[in-house]
Amino acid sequence: MRKHLRHTQSPEPSHGIDLAPMLDFVINLLIFFIITAVFVKESGLVVNRPTGIAQAEQDVESIQIQILEDGEIWVDNRAVDVRAVRANVERLSAVNPESGVLIIAAELAPTDTLVDVVDQVHLGGIYNITFSTQE
Amino acid sequence: MPAMMHSQESEEHGIDLAPMLDFTINLLIFFIITTSFIKEAGVTIFKPEAVTAEHRESGNLLVAIRENGDIWMDRRPVELRELRPMIERLHIERPDDTVVILADRQSNAGMVAKVMDEVRAGGIQEVSIAADPNGG
Repeated sequence: MRKHLRHTQSPEPSHGIDLAPMLDFVINLLIFFIITAVFVKESGLVVNRPTGIAQAEQDVESIQIQILEDGEIWVDNRAVDVRAVRANVERLSAVNPESGVLIIAAELAPTDTLVDVVDQVHLGGIYNITFSTQE
Repeated sequence: MPAMMHSQESEEHGIDLAPMLDFTINLLIFFIITTSFIKEAGVTIFKPEAVTAEHRESGNLLVAIRENGDIWMDRRPVELRELRPMIERLHIERPDDTVVILADRQSNAGMVAKVMDEVRAGGIQEVSIAADPNGG
């Protein structure tokens, strides 16, 4: 009993390093990083914006899709449903495979419709999309 | 032989901390590496849905556009004209950062275009519009 008591109360200071403060510190650091780690993974659609000369060149080649203020979609001078955009884009890109898509949206057009159209164009196989707005 | 007896005793006493320490430090390193410094927008946005939305690894500057046209960045509302200097400053700090615009479903396409132009004027060319890939 006495031997055991003596042992626990006076550990030898010369043997090894005391790990306890280091462990405290490391675990604190770990907790800090766990708390501050934000696992935000955003998915998105990439669209271009017209810039000067590029726009003038593209206007000739590209398939134009207009989005009106109320969300109405016009492709090739016809009002179409969102679900018909894909078929129209596929048809027009078959005629001219090099062409990109120019989306001309009204200032007040809802973003929901815009994203739907971009999505449909992507499904139609075209990823070169330029997004322009019109008053 | 009192010294030897003592050393055997001390091995039996207490827990061996080394494996735990190894594990803890590995966990720490993992969290340090995976922590990306994301500037959150600070508002809840109902994102539009798109099947073809691509996952962006480095999209870490989030600019939110609410349905009423308010712009939020870095957990506070900002004016459209404030956006460009903010983007410029962040672009200088970390040139690899890209911007994701969190536009509400009800927001206007015109506002999205204006924000995109300001971000590009601020020097970041990689801009995408956030969409939820789960929907259809």
